[in-house]
Amino acid sequence: MEVVKTKYNETELVSLLRQRSQQVFSYLYDNYSGALHSIILNIVGEEELANDVLQEVFVKIWRQIDSYDSSKGRLFTWMLNIARNASIDTVRSKSFQNSRQNRELTEDVYASGGSSETRTDQIGLRKLVHGLKEEYKVLIELSYFQGYTQDEISKMLSIPLGTVKTRLRTALIQLRDVIKP
Amino acid sequence: MDIRAYIESGVIESWVLGMASAEEAAELERLRVLHPEINQAIDAFEASLERTALAGATQPPVYVKQELFTQLAGEFKQEEARTRVVTMPAGRFAKYIAAAAIILLVISASMNLYFYNRFQSANTAYQALLVEKTSLIATNHDIQVKALDMYQSMQMMSDPSVAKIPMVTVRANENNLATVFWDTRTKDVYLMPNKMPPAPGDKQYQLWAIVDGKPVDAGMMDACTGLCKMKNIPRASAFAITLEKRGGSATPTMDQMYVMGKVG
Repeated sequence: MEVVKTKYNETELVSLLRQRSQQVFSYLYDNYSGALHSIILNIVGEEELANDVLQEVFVKIWRQIDSYDSSKGRLFTWMLNIARNASIDTVRSKSFQNSRQNRELTEDVYASGGSSETRTDQIGLRKLVHGLKEEYKVLIELSYFQGYTQDEISKMLSIPLGTVKTRLRTALIQLRDVIKP
Repeated sequence: MDIRAYIESGVIESWVLGMASAEEAAELERLRVLHPEINQAIDAFEASLERTALAGATQPPVYVKQELFTQLAGEFKQEEARTRVVTMPAGRFAKYIAAAAIILLVISASMNLYFYNRFQSANTAYQALLVEKTSLIATNHDIQVKALDMYQSMQMMSDPSVAKIPMVTVRANENNLATVFWDTRTKDVYLMPNKMPPAPGDKQYQLWAIVDGKPVDAGMMDACTGLCKMKNIPRASAFAITLEKRGGSATPTMDQMYVMGKVG
């Protein structure tokens, strides 16, 4: 058994995860599941589905830790991208689209208002994005949280691709300044 | 190239958030090697993104972690898996084993108690037997000594050169009797108290030899078995016994004479 540490630096974490340490994987989960859960919930919008995706994301982290390259960025950035990609894939999957259609029908009938969607605006990264100006917010919403390419966004919003590109970059700089403490 | 403008272009944030195109990513990875400022900017944005995400964390329900670890149970390092196996088997079978172990323990403990008590009583009996055996040996020894004394006494009594002098009572209404055996060769004197009243605690019987009409001390009679060996008396005409104070007297107390017998 390893000595139970209360804090690991990133190099130790990655090294011990590659040695298949359950102890350290548990530590990783305890420290990062909340942050990843938040971004997943931002994207998929449903609590129960977000829990499923979170489990799937940690399985990927566990099984793909050997492909993590520390020279390219932080471990958290790598995990965050896994979480974002898994969430967008889930939202785009056929079963999710079907269930969303059903739910929207139900909500129309009972007029309960899409409360779960507004609620996920108020947590995590998405809450910060929603503090930006509308023209920037829309672009980050579509590209980051919904995963559309700039080409797709250009067509959806009928804005020239060059404008989408410039405006999105300005939006990201503003986002950077918002999250920089 | 204007590095400052590049850093402020938003391409770094786009890349970190996974939204950069392949060409943008390739350019950034090439530039970060050449320009440490770009590297620093990437790292700074990653750090603040992580801080922000951790600050905005929402806790998933506990069952998610349980399901995750159940799903990956076979993929953890072996020695940790082994410690898990040790804690796992708390099923019915283990409960039966535990119950059986407790029952056996109770049976074993009560048998220990039973056999300990048996051992204690056997040990006590053994000690008693040891004491009895020791005393039997002592008694047996005493008896052997007495038997040997009696044998020697009989040998002497049947010896023709040993004179037998019976001493009869001299007191009215008493039937006292004692016998002196006198070895005519060695002149040793032996006394057998055939029938004498027991002497009081502070008194003792004393044997006298009558030599030329005068009494000569021939020794004190002890509680001897069989024959008591007395003093050597070269010649005497008679023997008598008086009751004297313990340790004997120089001259006999005549009114305390019990028995007397003449030689020849």
